[in-house]
Amino acid sequence: MEAIRVEGLCKRFGGVVATNNVSFRVDRGGRLVIIGPNGAGKSTLFNLLNGQLPLDGGKVFLFGEDVTHLPLHKRAHKGMARSFQLTSLFPDLTVMDNMMLALHGLRPSRFNPFRSTGSYSVLRDKGKELLSLFDLWSKRDEQIKMISYGEQRKLEIALCLAADPRLLLLDEPSAGLTASERQAVMEMIRNLPPDIAVIIVDHDMDLVFGLANRIIVLHFGQIIAEGTPEEIQAHPKVKEVYMGIEEGNGNA
Amino acid sequence: MSKKLAPYLIAAVILVAFPPLLQSYYLSVVTMILIFGLFAMSLNIIFGHTGLNSLGHAAFFGTAGYVTGIAIVTYGIKSFWTSAPLGILGAAVIAAIFGIIALRVSGVYFLLITFALGQLLWTVAEKWYSVTMGRSGFVGIPAPDPGLSFLDFGSPVGFYYFVFVVFGVCYYLMACLHRSPFGYALQGIRERESRMSALGYNVWLYKYIAYITAAIFAGVGGILYAHFNGSIAPSHIGFSTSALGMLMVILGGAGALWGPVLGAALIILLQGFASLLVPARWPLILGVLFVIGVMGFKGGIGPHLVRIVVRAFSHGSNQGRRTV
Repeated sequence: MEAIRVEGLCKRFGGVVATNNVSFRVDRGGRLVIIGPNGAGKSTLFNLLNGQLPLDGGKVFLFGEDVTHLPLHKRAHKGMARSFQLTSLFPDLTVMDNMMLALHGLRPSRFNPFRSTGSYSVLRDKGKELLSLFDLWSKRDEQIKMISYGEQRKLEIALCLAADPRLLLLDEPSAGLTASERQAVMEMIRNLPPDIAVIIVDHDMDLVFGLANRIIVLHFGQIIAEGTPEEIQAHPKVKEVYMGIEEGNGNA
Repeated sequence: MSKKLAPYLIAAVILVAFPPLLQSYYLSVVTMILIFGLFAMSLNIIFGHTGLNSLGHAAFFGTAGYVTGIAIVTYGIKSFWTSAPLGILGAAVIAAIFGIIALRVSGVYFLLITFALGQLLWTVAEKWYSVTMGRSGFVGIPAPDPGLSFLDFGSPVGFYYFVFVVFGVCYYLMACLHRSPFGYALQGIRERESRMSALGYNVWLYKYIAYITAAIFAGVGGILYAHFNGSIAPSHIGFSTSALGMLMVILGGAGALWGPVLGAALIILLQGFASLLVPARWPLILGVLFVIGVMGFKGGIGPHLVRIVVRAFSHGSNQGRRTV
């Protein structure tokens, strides 16, 4: 059963082709990792998947439904959640306020202008559970700008899980973390419910080969290799790109 | 909880008990502060909470005042319970139209478009003589008639209490809004729009609803002002009143709910003294005040005042932060 399928995605920024005819599909429970050198178009691809950027061509299907023209927030309601490469939290609000925003996001209560946001005890319990899972419960009343970078990264992922997503996009979840924090993030991703589909962009090879059951290698906006971790490790083109010995005319 | 309510209770007791003892001039100053405090608070819903810099907020204040005045004087609708909702409806309709236009852009462009739309309405108020009585303003608006016989709303004290109750109700509603999921969503939009979309919030719709909500509260202020003054003029729609509202919010502080009320109090008190002492120099004083306020009290005077009060009263280093 497919979670997401994209066909012929294209995106240009002026003369630069950031995404060039990209097609792939991820099934439920799939763990797809996208790798590629800097500037390969990984973040652009993410922004196309979740609708932050308009497409120049191609189609996006979410759980079998064409969502190509659906705005960001509606894709979220279809079960898609994403984390951001550059931490994208609400800096003046507290950790718990951030969590409550994420928890209300897909519920009708998000429009309620009368009831205090803290009075939703079911959501508060859920928020407590999630924050505890990431060792953030003790920081719940701290403003985001007061907690460490590692804690911000963890909250970044915790907010995505608040929506009980069916498809999770993680943009460099381990960037800037210490080795032990990386380990914890990996553990967390491994422990996600098995029916969630996960797409990850990351540079950390332990994480890439430790989590992926499929890998896509992106180079100049194009898929140059796709396969299981073993296939990718043995792939000659991938070695070429990562060793830096290629012609560099964009058609390698 | 009771500790949080205490300042409100004290403020309420002062506002209920003392005004009848004041001379009518000072009573009218307090009434003005509540009316403009309400206006500044309404602006803060979009300006402070949502991060939309509107320079045309008086359009809703003035429109509601005009519609109420016209309903009462031209069409003879006596009851406050009919004339006021008409005024509010007028403000809401104008906001619904302006919002569709202005919310297509953001940042400084939003500021410019709201300014332009406000000036547009100002021109209408000035030129449409047959309806608005033109440049000199729409006059002859009587005291509100809510059909309650135990208070004379035509008297300064009676009208003051009327304004006080309306202000209190609006303050309570805005306080609820501020702490609600909807209010937090507005703050989230101010800080990180893209994240809010990714979390499933329809950002545009939130801004639109916030814009209309702010217009409704501004409209309530405008209606009170029309009754208070007995008239409403094009300047109450245009730039000067919009800018005054913005000054009140910036000076008082957008962070706290009551910050804009403090800003309104400050400006109206100073305006009152200036008009007695150096009538021609008010704009100059306002300018200097604004520069000092912005440079010396970042985030408004409100938070600084709180810090001083807290330091004076606290005997521990217990920094109570807001908890959900």
